[in-house]
Amino acid sequence: MAEDGFEARLAPLWHAGRDGDEAAYRAALSLIALRLRAYFRPRMAGLPDDVEDLVQETLLAIHLKRATHDPALPVSNWLHAVARYRLTDVYRRRGRRGVPDTLDGMEIEAPPDSGGVEASSARRDLGRLLGTLPDGQRQAIELVKVEGYSTEEAAARMGITVTTLKVRVHRGLQRLMQDVGSQQ
Amino acid sequence: MKTDDLIGLLAQGAGRTEPAGDLGHMVLGALMVLPLMVLAVWLGLGLVPVALWPVSGTFAKLSYAGIVLFGAGLLLRRLGRPGAAVGLPLALIAGTLAAVAMIGVADLLRQPVAGWPMHILGKSAPVCPWAILFLSVPVLAVMLWSARALAPTRLRLAGAAAGLAAGALGALAYAMGCDEGALTFMALWYSLGMALATVLGAVVGPRVLRW
Repeated sequence: MAEDGFEARLAPLWHAGRDGDEAAYRAALSLIALRLRAYFRPRMAGLPDDVEDLVQETLLAIHLKRATHDPALPVSNWLHAVARYRLTDVYRRRGRRGVPDTLDGMEIEAPPDSGGVEASSARRDLGRLLGTLPDGQRQAIELVKVEGYSTEEAAARMGITVTTLKVRVHRGLQRLMQDVGSQQ
Repeated sequence: MKTDDLIGLLAQGAGRTEPAGDLGHMVLGALMVLPLMVLAVWLGLGLVPVALWPVSGTFAKLSYAGIVLFGAGLLLRRLGRPGAAVGLPLALIAGTLAAVAMIGVADLLRQPVAGWPMHILGKSAPVCPWAILFLSVPVLAVMLWSARALAPTRLRLAGAAAGLAAGALGALAYAMGCDEGALTFMALWYSLGMALATVLGAVVGPRVLRW
């Protein structure tokens, strides 16, 4: 993943996002989504319709596990390991034996910006899944993530502490990721 | 939901990334469970008085288990961070096992051949590895639980690392009550006990650690 400057483009955004810059984090995730799409597509040749589901699922995982990236190491290595794990998990869920050799390559055959925007709608509706979460988690996610309240405001509206709110948002997203994983 | 909408949702209110408090979980969990393990050893075997430690080889056992614990803990921590290199902790663990194996053989070769069975088996050979495994089960749960907060991508290896760390803690606790002084005994049976815990961790790892 190193040669085409992906790391150089991603790392500053990722680190700014880590320090709380949400616009940078959003840009980092968009860059990552393109990369994931290019990575998964040739490796899921038999399941082209599921590529976007896997992209979304992996973005959720990346978001939830982002603290496990050691800032001293390249973010693209971390990202690749996570993407590879999610892909292996899909193979395992589908009962497919073994993982293709191409999975080991760090390089991605498709140009990183191919098939970007037009392919961005998944078959599975995460929005609908969001509605199935327990009320507390769903409300916390909606206030902070959809309506854009700050964590303090959202906590005050729900009458809970900021810590509880953060835990609910995290648990809710975690549950979403698990629901997504067990659906297939 | 479109992927761009999902990205917006994830970024909205994401805030600063809090560092993963993995090591804290592990150490805290171990500190909570270790006294119970020593208590179990005290009730089951009785503790070896500190004055007898030079005779019972307790220093050697504690050092051995301590180094393995450090190596396995480091390995688990690295395995929980996708893309992190694991060569160093693996080399530390392999080097420690090899060194202890050589110490065990050298210690045996210094004994007259007639004394070998006693030197190898001691009085408690069949008990020792199973006791270590038994002691390590609760702390294995703690290790796996703390690893779940991370993002292990090699689940079997991560399970094995958790098992080895738990086995090393089990050995640490067992050493407090074990009066077998022979280094050969330690090299064989302590290693076997930790290996059993490692296998247990490797078996349950892929089930427990999935995310």
